Amino acid sequence: MIDPLRAAASIAGSGLTAQSTRVRVVSENLANAQSTGRTPGSDPYRRKTVIFSSEFDRQLGAATVSVKSVGQDESPFAVTHDPSNPAADADGNVKMPNVNMLIEMADLREASRSYEADLRMVKQARAMATMMLDLLRNG
Amino acid sequence: MLTLAAEHARWATVRQAVITGNIANANTPGYVALDVEPFSAVLAETSGAKMARTSPAHLTVNGTAADDDQRIWQVKETGAPVELDQQLMAADDVNRGFALDNAIVRAFHRMLMASTRTGP
Repeated sequence: MIDPLRAAASIAGSGLTAQSTRVRVVSENLANAQSTGRTPGSDPYRRKTVIFSSEFDRQLGAATVSVKSVGQDESPFAVTHDPSNPAADADGNVKMPNVNMLIEMADLREASRSYEADLRMVKQARAMATMMLDLLRNG
Repeated sequence: MLTLAAEHARWATVRQAVITGNIANANTPGYVALDVEPFSAVLAETSGAKMARTSPAHLTVNGTAADDDQRIWQVKETGAPVELDQQLMAADDVNRGFALDNAIVRAFHRMLMASTRTGP
């Protein structure tokens, strides 16, 4: 097991990576909130979700976090009536992506909070290491 | 006193690592928050009239110096999911304890230096 303070920095680093992946996926969802299919009756963009998993790192002797996979939200699409859309079927109905702005914004906010917390742990570990080094400097 | 401060500082760093692990896994489904055994439990165990090997240079009973015995702190599951604010507060606590350890070491070191310093 390596120095716990360095381990803390690495673990928080894994958290930062995982949360930034989450932010990336949320922005993909938001950007594609209006992306319909190309051919009549085809499926539109399907909302993506992030799945986290905890991994035990033997070298660190602690559990880091990683993005296991980016899954897909299988919930049904919203259907709107828009005959002028190229993706409209024979009845003029268009399937819209199952992206809900509110859910995405909440997800984004949660990711940002977790990111902040991780960042704070990095700062704190660094402050502790600096404190210890200061003992050597002018103890 | 210095040993105790050092021990507490080591405990604080381990706890810091554990809390960081909790925060990193705050959004992992099924993850249970971990915590290090409290320092007082260790204190009760090591203080008192018991003889302890406090340095790897000390000889053990059968005359051979064992390899290093850095204490391995026990990490236990708390059985609850991670509460972000609680963890941050615990981290602040650890940080304050660590700062206190450092201040103690510094103060004692100054005292030692003052007493060993020769004449004006």
